[in-house]
Amino acid sequence: MIHFISKRLKHSLVLLFLASVVCFMLVVSAPGNVAVLIAELRGAVSVPGYVDQVAEEIGLNKPLLVRYVDWLGDAVRGDFGISYRTGQEVNADLPKRMLVTGTLVAGGGALATLISLVLGFLGALWPYKLPDRVSRGLALVGASTPTFFVGALMIYGFSVTFQLFPSFGFEGPESWILPWLTVAVLPAAVLSRVVRVGLEEAMTSPFVLTAKSKGLGRTAILFRDALPNITPVFINALGTQVGLMTATAIIVEPLFAWQGLGDYFLNGVRFRDFMVVQACLLIFLTFFIIVNLIVDLAVLLTDPRIRRQWS
Amino acid sequence: MEKLNSILARLKKMPRAALITIGLFVALGTFASWLAPQDPSAQNLLDAGLGPSAAHWLGTDHLGRDTLSRLIIAANTSLVSVGSVLGIAMTIGILMGTIAGYHRGWVDDLLMRVVDVGLSIPSLIIALAVIGIVGPGYWTMVMALALAWWPMSGRISRAVAVSIMSKPHIEALRVLGASPWRIYFGHLLPGTIGAVMVYATADAGTAALAVATLSFLGLGIQPPTPEWGQMLVDALPYLESDPRQVLLPGLALTAAVIGFNTLGESIALNRIPKPLTRRMLAARRLEAAGWAKENSDA
Amino acid sequence: MHNEPLLTVSNLTVDLLTAKSAVRPVDGVSYSVRQGECLAIVGESGSGKTVMNFAPLGLMPTGVTTVLSGSVKFDGHELIGRPEAEIRKFRGRSIGFIFQDPMSALNPVRRIGRQIAEMAELHLGMSPSAAEARALELVKLVGISDPAARLRQYPHELSGGLRQRIVIAIALAGEPKLLIADEPTTALDVTVQAQILRLLKDLQKRLDMAMVLITHDMGVVAGAADNIVVMYAARAAERGPVDKVLVSPRHPYTRGLINAIPRREDPIGSEFRGLPGVPPTLGAPFKGCAFASRCGFAVAACSASRPPLVPTPDGSVFVACPVVNQGKAAA
Repeated sequence: MIHFISKRLKHSLVLLFLASVVCFMLVVSAPGNVAVLIAELRGAVSVPGYVDQVAEEIGLNKPLLVRYVDWLGDAVRGDFGISYRTGQEVNADLPKRMLVTGTLVAGGGALATLISLVLGFLGALWPYKLPDRVSRGLALVGASTPTFFVGALMIYGFSVTFQLFPSFGFEGPESWILPWLTVAVLPAAVLSRVVRVGLEEAMTSPFVLTAKSKGLGRTAILFRDALPNITPVFINALGTQVGLMTATAIIVEPLFAWQGLGDYFLNGVRFRDFMVVQACLLIFLTFFIIVNLIVDLAVLLTDPRIRRQWS
Repeated sequence: MEKLNSILARLKKMPRAALITIGLFVALGTFASWLAPQDPSAQNLLDAGLGPSAAHWLGTDHLGRDTLSRLIIAANTSLVSVGSVLGIAMTIGILMGTIAGYHRGWVDDLLMRVVDVGLSIPSLIIALAVIGIVGPGYWTMVMALALAWWPMSGRISRAVAVSIMSKPHIEALRVLGASPWRIYFGHLLPGTIGAVMVYATADAGTAALAVATLSFLGLGIQPPTPEWGQMLVDALPYLESDPRQVLLPGLALTAAVIGFNTLGESIALNRIPKPLTRRMLAARRLEAAGWAKENSDA
Repeated sequence: MHNEPLLTVSNLTVDLLTAKSAVRPVDGVSYSVRQGECLAIVGESGSGKTVMNFAPLGLMPTGVTTVLSGSVKFDGHELIGRPEAEIRKFRGRSIGFIFQDPMSALNPVRRIGRQIAEMAELHLGMSPSAAEARALELVKLVGISDPAARLRQYPHELSGGLRQRIVIAIALAGEPKLLIADEPTTALDVTVQAQILRLLKDLQKRLDMAMVLITHDMGVVAGAADNIVVMYAARAAERGPVDKVLVSPRHPYTRGLINAIPRREDPIGSEFRGLPGVPPTLGAPFKGCAFASRCGFAVAACSASRPPLVPTPDGSVFVACPVVNQGKAAA
């Protein structure tokens, strides 16, 4: 099993390396002369010699490999360079922003897990009856409604009309409710389907007949026998959804005026602030790789069959 | 003719509501310019923010443009852009997948790794990364989304290609000296196109959401071309005074996506088996009751 | 010896209704089992033998509507007509089940100890620690080495034979009076088969249980059963003590089955003495004798009306064949 874990870790490191290369190449291969663009952004492009000065400053003249190593070395230490738009260091707000986005994703993920388990089990306990149809209907609508629309509805319903929750800014638990709900809708819908279908599949397995013959009732079988069987599948799906939630954060944060990583990335894209885009992308990719690693390890822990394969 | 029949047979099995919704969407999108009662770009600030009336069935937006017309034209915008994205993505995906499936070896391995990576990054982030470097624009958006969408088509077509290649009659063809082109165009492509199209139809809803999301962020369809996501974001500042302008595009988009998702669900093997309805049960009972109980054991 | 049979099945008929079809896999069958006795139910796949035992106890898959008629009396209680909630009380506690495929019968993600102990907690009201102790006892009882270690293992770590022993341990955990074994050795290696059969027989005697052994293997019957019911196409063809039925089978189908068993005297390369034709698929009940189309002794009367199961002059053997019962065929 140790062998498997170390193999998996090495795999992750390789992916991290590839991700860093991709991020680096993305900016390097941007069309147009970066030095000119930056000079334009700074409003000094017509000053003679300034473009060359900029080129020197950002090391455009050094060989690619050197530039990559420099960049990587800086990035690992948290130095993502200086934003050419604001003139500030890119990493100035990063920790705070990561915390904000982290709060969003963590809360959304927890909420989605809770809701999907409830809806999935409700459906499995009374298959084809009202609870099942309602939860499947909710799942369909939840998976089809654009997140920005959900956010707008939340704001309109809870903030404007009923004045229940704040919808502006990251100011304590009360302000977390609406953004959490908004971010959780899509994952909850997808995961509830995973739970429902997984339980149904588990309930048609032969060992359920054995459980019935033991004298167990349907509810007991569902919780004791079927549930442990869907854990690996659920964790996999949850991992995917957590990754997707970081993308959703890009929409939700501006909507609720949260200064998170998603908001930062979006602004970087809007103003073509390459250093910001690069930094955020690298952080996102690192996050995905780590989440995938955790998911694989968690599945290893919860599925005894895989454990055996690798021991 | 045969193909048409088989398509019709499949259509009959799909849920009617979904087919009607999608049909409506496609029809609306195709004939939008004829169906829209007014010019979607005609601004009239005096009439801004009006509720539904005889002149404007769904009211006007903050610039006095007719909402109904804009919604209809937006259907066209979605249709065209989603169609382009999926078309390009499928083409790239099928090309890559069939080549990988045909040649196998390192080409296959490399491609599948790329596909794995592509599938593990959310499409929005890929699209935004591209737009962030190249700058916003209609074709940038389409290409960026196509870049995010092709891996799944690649994976599906590769799987189909591999299974076709392993069939005995393909091996026979090769032994008989059929040229690779013939095998490729005559056998591989037709098989993979079908499978990928099925997937694309099911996933069209998600693609529509992606276009709308990018437009919502101001990085997709630029004004004055109407698009549902864009209309929503324009109307957000007026949420309190005129919620209708936010609700209508949102509902339109949601309805279209629900239609596609329902279709997708029915296409994918929906593993929950259908239960016995009361009608079926009654029919069976009748059948069984007809069996006279013949004499039995002591 | 006990007076009243523990299980009495009278004229049991089972109809299964699904979305697409209505089938009658059990058509008016009767038999009984006493405590301490073993009844073998023999028949080909699709003869209805499994349904006969599972349907009255509510073990049909969901999506199938079961219609029962006749009577199934267990320990004085009538099972037919009871709601599922009450039938459930018999399962595990008074009646234990052993299934055909040990590879899939156990939950792969739960430890074996838990799967056994659960029974003791549920039916004997034991605390978790007492139940674990009982599970250990049971695992020893079914002859598994290193029992403590086994309890902590998962099913995929065990071989087929071991898994079947665990299934048996689970079946016994509730201290049942009746054991229903559905082809318990079919999926096992030949060498293991004998071991498991011996184990079952031994346990049955020791715990004074009644056992219903469903099988298609005559060898299994000979070694383990006291009585036998031969099923063909949802009906009972012959019924009686094993020594009588196996040695001098009367029903043409039974004769065919026994005859087909290769004998030591048969020279190598001799032809297989099978029955002509194929067994019918079950659906609506057959008019007349279901075996008539394959039977060498069939007469017109055979297809006219269903032959009743009638005692032979002997008294303990019952045969459903008009030809045999009228003595028209040679014994």
